[in-house]
Amino acid sequence: MNVAILSPEISLGAAAAVILLAEAFSAGNLSRVAILALATLGIAVSAAFLIPAQLAGVPTSSFSGAFIQNGFTIYFKLLMLMATFLVLLGSGRFLAQAEGRRAELVALVLLTTAALMLLVSSTELITLYISLEMASLSTAFLAAWMKHQERSAEAGLKFFLLNALSSAVLLYGIALLYGITGQTQLNGIARELVGGATPALLLALALLLAGFGFKVSAVPFHMWTPDVYEGAPTPITAYLSVASKAAGFAVIVRVLQTALPGVQTEWVGLIAILAAVTMTVGNIVAMVQTNIKRMLAYSTIAQAGYILVGVAAGTGQGLGAVLFYLAAYTATNLGAFIAIVEIADRTGSERTSDFAGLHARAPWLAFALAISLLSLAGLPPLAGFFAKIYVFWAAIQTGLGWLVLLGVLNSAISLFYYAQVIHHMYMVPAPSPAPGRSLPTLVAGLTVAIAGVFALGIFSGFFMGLAETAARTLTQ
Amino acid sequence: MPPAFPPLYPITLQHGLILGAALFSIGLAGALTKRNSIVILMAIEVMLNGVNVTFVAFARQLEPAVLTGQVFALFIITVAAAEAAVGLALIIAIYHLRHSVQIDEANELQG
Amino acid sequence: MVGSFGPIVIAIAIATAFGLLPLFLSGLIIPKMPDRVKNAPYECGVETIGPTSIQFHTRYYLYALLFVIFDVEAVFLFPWAVAYRHLGLFALTEVVIFIGLLLVGYVYAWRKGALQWV
Repeated sequence: MNVAILSPEISLGAAAAVILLAEAFSAGNLSRVAILALATLGIAVSAAFLIPAQLAGVPTSSFSGAFIQNGFTIYFKLLMLMATFLVLLGSGRFLAQAEGRRAELVALVLLTTAALMLLVSSTELITLYISLEMASLSTAFLAAWMKHQERSAEAGLKFFLLNALSSAVLLYGIALLYGITGQTQLNGIARELVGGATPALLLALALLLAGFGFKVSAVPFHMWTPDVYEGAPTPITAYLSVASKAAGFAVIVRVLQTALPGVQTEWVGLIAILAAVTMTVGNIVAMVQTNIKRMLAYSTIAQAGYILVGVAAGTGQGLGAVLFYLAAYTATNLGAFIAIVEIADRTGSERTSDFAGLHARAPWLAFALAISLLSLAGLPPLAGFFAKIYVFWAAIQTGLGWLVLLGVLNSAISLFYYAQVIHHMYMVPAPSPAPGRSLPTLVAGLTVAIAGVFALGIFSGFFMGLAETAARTLTQ
Repeated sequence: MPPAFPPLYPITLQHGLILGAALFSIGLAGALTKRNSIVILMAIEVMLNGVNVTFVAFARQLEPAVLTGQVFALFIITVAAAEAAVGLALIIAIYHLRHSVQIDEANELQG
Repeated sequence: MVGSFGPIVIAIAIATAFGLLPLFLSGLIIPKMPDRVKNAPYECGVETIGPTSIQFHTRYYLYALLFVIFDVEAVFLFPWAVAYRHLGLFALTEVVIFIGLLLVGYVYAWRKGALQWV
């Protein structure tokens, strides 16, 4: 039994434990810099375990095949570590406000990341469920972090109740799958499912998709997303929208590809319908939002729809496109949310109309937000453009032309509301100059994210190659 | 050795599955219709117990040698305990702010 | 099926009727003269004042929570203890790590004053 395979997760967990104990024994006097340094150390050590494993290129599995490490999992883990690091960089002022409880906050973020990393690597349903719940429960606390603000507490409670409901539904699907096949190992399930679709199997599939659909906020399981994104503290929203979503897609792709290839025709149809509804509803509702966090919440729903198009394509190329899309989406969404953290802090408002004339007051923030929004809309040469191209191209090749047509129409619609924010920032004159300077850590985080948006766009061929290599290890 | 008194009505897989499905459905109906967040939490626990019964029924039927289903049920019990702890903490936070645990009064966020 | 189970059903029915019938019959014939003392919830002891369903203070919640978490720990320790001889050193190490993790949480709760009655 190879325990060393867990080193990346253990490093994060150890960092969290050290932070908690240091906080407990320093009577709440642990400085923000010390906390962030410890967290960064944990993330760096974790990445240091992953990168050599990636270079060695040997897929390994341990714990009786419950846990696997290959190119696919390492890709997602590095993505999530990067996202966590950027979120921590961007949350400087929020950490200062979360007086007295910031060590717990950072520790909980690290533990959530460790849980999401476990989730990505789990190839067995018990492990998968435990890591999913571990991530979800800590996320509920993170969303409710500002417990003296009604919006935050309410966001946490809503997330918690709906998540618990969806987990129960997912579990019933897992129970049926276990009953049908007698297996909880994903590849064992695939071995047993040779007879094709039975009614019980279809019910299990529907319940599984409902459960996972909730995690990636696919319509019609998206109701929690706008409320939680709006109510949660903005750095936490940023974290939720990238790390949890990436892990959600990793687990959908793994379960569908590894455990359920026997019913591929059925799930391709279901996923295609989910994708169509998700992107359409997300984009149309986003148009009428006035709160920027709510608008971005619907925008992430729409983005989930595009990613589901790639999942529906299901080929090696489609999976590569999904992985590339998630990287592009992570960089872009982090750029947008970190910019919003700072803008909302300075202007004291999250209404898009209050962003008027931002380019004169904070040119770098306005530029970063504009670039992120344009990338989300899918304009060349930014990351979002190539991500969409790859996903749509993979879908066309598997005969999902109608879905691609709908996706292109949706992208056109989305340009409308993204451009509206940019119009406010650049064309409408500023009401009054807003004071304040950004923390250097936040500017650094924002710069890295925006650089990522450009790099993933300009060198998209190279990164797509990486993503395809990683995707190929999934189906090996 | 056969049991001294063989059961008159052996409990089959169907009994377990029907009980599990019934518990799950009762819980689901409760979770979707109730307005008190503590009652919703209880309803979700009922759903989880329905899943547990299903797992144990399948485990008994499938392979007496391998107990994956029972192990799964054990883990669900643990997670349900953690879930109750988290849920109650959040409900108490809301109660401190609003002196109510009704979720239809939680309407600070609407779209 | 009814043949083997029937006598039990009949026995249960007779036993139930035997218990209920005297109660019903005496209810029919006894005179009813209620007064204040007879209607009191207790014939002796202190009368209750106000509604009897009261709210517990939320500080009990913390103890309930800590109890549940360390209680559920036993769910995992019990199977390990039963199968201890078969599992050997590796399982022992795992359990030590498991308890170690819980201990971190316990120390944290302790240092943070969660065990203090406030």
